[in-house]
Amino acid sequence: MTIGIELVLNGTPTTIECEVHDTLLSVLRRRGLVSVRYGSDTGETGASAVLVDGRLVNTDCMLAAQADGHEVMTVEALNQPDLHPIQAAFVATGAMQSGYSTPAMILGTWALLRHDPDPSEATVRDMLSGILDRETAYVKPVEAIRRAAALLRGDQVDPFGPVALPPMTDGTNPVDVDPADPRPDASAAVPRLVPSRDVPDMAVVGKPEVKVDAVRLVKGNQAFTDDFEERGQLVGKVLRSPHAHARIVDIDDSRALALPGVHAVLHYKNVPRIKYASGGQSWPNPHPHDQVSFDTKVRHVGDRVAAVAAETAEIAEEALRLIDVTYEVLPAVFDELEAMEPGAPVIHDEEDTEHIHDRERNIVHHIGAERGNVEAGFAQADRVFEQTFRVHQVQQVPIENHISVAWLDPDERMVVRTATQVPFHARRMLAPLIGREIKDVRIIKPRIGGGFGAKQEMLIEDIAAHLAQATRRPVKVELDRSEEFMSSRTRHPQTLTYKTGVTADGTLVAQELRIVGNTGPYGTHAYTVQTVSGLRGLTSYNCPNKRFDCDVVYTNIPVPGAYRGYGAPQAEFALEAHMEDIAHELGMDPIEFKRKNWVVVGSELDIAPHLGERAVEEDELDEYPRVTSSGIEECVAQGKRAIEWHRRLDPQWVSPPDRPHIRRGMGFAFCMHGTAIPFLDMGGCSIKINDDGSFNMLIGATDLGTGADTVIGQIAAEVLGVDLDDIKVYSSDTDVTPFDTGAYASSTTYISGTAAKLAAEKVRERIKERAAKMLGVTEPCSIELRDKRAWAPDGRSVSLEELALEAFHLEDHEQIMGTASYVSPECPAPFAAQFAEIEVDVDTGQVTVVKLVMAVDCGVAINPVTASGQVEGGMIQALGYAHCEEYAFDDDGRMVNDRLGPYKIYRADEMPETEVYLVQTMEDSGPFGAKAVAEIPKDGVAPAIRNAILQATGARIDDLPFTPQRVHGALREVR
Amino acid sequence: MPSVLAYHRPGSLDEASTLLAGSNRRALAGGTLVVPASRRAVDVGVELVDLQALGLDAVEARGEHLALGAMTRLGDLATDERVPALLADLCRRELPSALRNQATIGGTVGAAESDSVLLAGLLVHRADVERHGAPAASLAEALAGAGDRGIVTTVTVEVAGRGTIAATGRTPADVPIVAAVARELSGTVTVALTGVADTPVLVDPGDPTAGLTPTSDFRGSADYRLHLASVLTERAVQEVTR
Repeated sequence: MTIGIELVLNGTPTTIECEVHDTLLSVLRRRGLVSVRYGSDTGETGASAVLVDGRLVNTDCMLAAQADGHEVMTVEALNQPDLHPIQAAFVATGAMQSGYSTPAMILGTWALLRHDPDPSEATVRDMLSGILDRETAYVKPVEAIRRAAALLRGDQVDPFGPVALPPMTDGTNPVDVDPADPRPDASAAVPRLVPSRDVPDMAVVGKPEVKVDAVRLVKGNQAFTDDFEERGQLVGKVLRSPHAHARIVDIDDSRALALPGVHAVLHYKNVPRIKYASGGQSWPNPHPHDQVSFDTKVRHVGDRVAAVAAETAEIAEEALRLIDVTYEVLPAVFDELEAMEPGAPVIHDEEDTEHIHDRERNIVHHIGAERGNVEAGFAQADRVFEQTFRVHQVQQVPIENHISVAWLDPDERMVVRTATQVPFHARRMLAPLIGREIKDVRIIKPRIGGGFGAKQEMLIEDIAAHLAQATRRPVKVELDRSEEFMSSRTRHPQTLTYKTGVTADGTLVAQELRIVGNTGPYGTHAYTVQTVSGLRGLTSYNCPNKRFDCDVVYTNIPVPGAYRGYGAPQAEFALEAHMEDIAHELGMDPIEFKRKNWVVVGSELDIAPHLGERAVEEDELDEYPRVTSSGIEECVAQGKRAIEWHRRLDPQWVSPPDRPHIRRGMGFAFCMHGTAIPFLDMGGCSIKINDDGSFNMLIGATDLGTGADTVIGQIAAEVLGVDLDDIKVYSSDTDVTPFDTGAYASSTTYISGTAAKLAAEKVRERIKERAAKMLGVTEPCSIELRDKRAWAPDGRSVSLEELALEAFHLEDHEQIMGTASYVSPECPAPFAAQFAEIEVDVDTGQVTVVKLVMAVDCGVAINPVTASGQVEGGMIQALGYAHCEEYAFDDDGRMVNDRLGPYKIYRADEMPETEVYLVQTMEDSGPFGAKAVAEIPKDGVAPAIRNAILQATGARIDDLPFTPQRVHGALREVR
Repeated sequence: MPSVLAYHRPGSLDEASTLLAGSNRRALAGGTLVVPASRRAVDVGVELVDLQALGLDAVEARGEHLALGAMTRLGDLATDERVPALLADLCRRELPSALRNQATIGGTVGAAESDSVLLAGLLVHRADVERHGAPAASLAEALAGAGDRGIVTTVTVEVAGRGTIAATGRTPADVPIVAAVARELSGTVTVALTGVADTPVLVDPGDPTAGLTPTSDFRGSADYRLHLASVLTERAVQEVTR
């Protein structure tokens, strides 16, 4: 039923015709107010929040009709050529990563500051409590709001940037931290930067430049997939399995097709059966290829059954209800150990899936690697310790759900605009499924509202493309929050067993890691995630004899895949807990014991080459890679001082006399990660000069909110001697930009950044040659580029604008441009010290995390503000893994907490204190010294909290997460 | 079948009552629960009757009581100085900011959710529920399902006393697995618990688990919930009588 509503929209009385069931969200977006964004249907994310009569409310759980007669304000009302002071403060502090929910935060701030010009931090956090952010940990948004308040009050504020700290160590050796040494005093949002003497001062690199997409994001301009609409766009919806394991005996789509407004119904009967693996990985995708677009079997609750394209979402949903499916329900199995037992249901019994290691036992892969002789090592050990851990299933939870829009362009090529981390892989993987050649497929990646690995997958692009092909109309497929939980991707649950032999003095002599990984019903990233678990679980510590033994198992849980950290968080939780417990058993200080064994500069990384997609045998290697840079001792010293590590020995602090049910503790974890996949991850870049001496830079690299476009732009600007604003970055579009493997494996700054550096150097050489000629200098190599000019040694110069104009219009006409690509033979390790301070309520088991400190050696942080933002957001995601996030199921495998709230992620008004230290080292293989920073924050929080609980209470908890009932049970065992 | 068939915004309680008497009608307060539930595809659609134009959003003192209009938003109650401190705090705890600005006190009573700390607070403040065309009932009766006919117009609470909450959750702002809300007035302590029954319930502070048979879920087994009920009741009582 169509109704008319009247409201004052951004100050203008407006009459709107809409359907009675329309939400205010859908009505506003249809009017082009794209700053108002979809995250859920129940107000649980806050992405859709606007002001109604001056109050922040969610428009996804509000009918447009309810707004009739009211005033509605969106962030577009603030948009002028110049930024509003609130927008400017968000830009200056790096308060947005993807920026998906930034407009809602800005509106909330505007409303708050009208009533309270000087709000307390608690008030600010309370305002933000309804807007979930998976990226910033709210640290920089809180800073932005306090600065905005000061600006609006007329107060002076200093420019935002890092605070430089003197080093506490010589870079190599440990120091004793003096408890009297005061912690640096700065706001939590400020990165603490410990510079290295090896790093020269630079003009753009190392500076807190604002993100290149900042203006677009704070204004709520078109940015994300759903912000662009094709004419005549249909809505695609997916029918999902209610059963964990069932055969589809028949599908009758006649009632659905008869519904007016339905344009296509697709399922196994009318879509070709072409095998693929959905993980977004380099060619050739690892086996097994165990999926098809629409199968005759469903293997988890939420698995695909059929898809519909219709004129509206309501018609599409009604059509789903009219599809008659006959299922033969099969027994299901959810636990990875039970799935390997005889008699367990066989999940892939179809004949056309090849390369399953042991189909009858559901073992998809068996992975092994060994160095030295582990049995001999155990025989030589004075003590052998064995310990089993169980880690659970969690999700990435991007606030923007998966979304793809597909259409045939005027040349009838398939175009898919999609929220993906892997546009080039998606193109290559999609083409055969829709019967096209790669040249007839184009993938456009706009801004992405968070990915964290969930979008390193060709997840729904094929559905949108099949529907677009069937209807010859543009089709949008967007998951709702429940679908995002049940049918996108998650972290692999695992059962991990460590067995470690040590000598009496605490030296490791043998270490074995046995993992049974649970990949749900499909392989996707199963092989590679588990190999990373082995790699990360057996690399941090020197040991002459090591063995990795792993089975990866099919079950009927929702599908695990890539999730930031990619197998490392599981393994490093177990490793750092295991090492902690060995230290206690040996009567050694845990940090001293770990330090005695951890890798240092020059240590061989001996298991690394034997695991992964490019695994080699020992005789194929000339030499093992080694640790090339490490700032771990400085990280430990800075972290100890920041958390006031000495307090843990004070009985009054551990057991506060006025709070008899509280025990306090602190924990530590040593963290080591990788930077890109050697010989595999590749990035390309092309740079061309414009008439005014600015540059366009095209990269295939995929900024998913991390600031990659900004960081790569800074690298090019540094080489070319211009401001970041003179580099116009565009990423990524498979028709336009160079190839890039995509945003994963902590590779973008290192790989794509090096490609940009190489491309910029080629451009620089051409500029120098032309400048030398223009200035009458014989040696082009003597020319220097800085301040947007080319300088001769004698002080004369020519501007890049003059130079470009000459090149385009006057002499020796040419387009000055450079293209380069890069793949690395190395994988330099970032290191970090993670500290956690916690309180345990010993009567209830409730753990409260008070403070997290991470000191990271990521080489040279190209942009300390975006780098620290990565650490802040990553630590809090890791905190969710450790503390409160979990998939819960009923007996039939249906997720019972497929909503945010029941699935608990941290919100702004309950955050622990955080501090981030960026400890510089000069990594010679990286662009301007950079290593990775994106994933290492996921590695240490869970073990640091676990070890803190152990220190506080004596309870050893080897399962995640540390929810109240689990901790309470462990405490009872201790007593 | 479009799930929302019509939207009505009556201007009087009588008109609203007449509308709600039709088949498949549902009252719409803040809408945070009703709107998402009503928009799902279903066999039979609903007509929504929005109560926003009935003037039910006033807060007024009535002697020793405070009358909270059913359409008052929790966000407004959280900052209203006339509202007892415990209830203002629980309005803030009940929901995060934006949802709090939408949800109403009447809607909270209507939803009767087991883990609502605000309902526990209203129970210990001896709330009565007034409905249009029906006699007032205690909140405890209303939650038990008695007299659930008629539009909720007002929730009245006793103002006096001081209160506290003791709760256990996964994180500091999590919806508590179990919460004990206590109020002390003239030496008498009243306690209500969440998370141990189908709705929040008043319990005997001296024997808080008597007669309780909680349902287990992934956040807490029945036994664990009973354990929390004992521990948290003791803490809340201790705090409020200190």
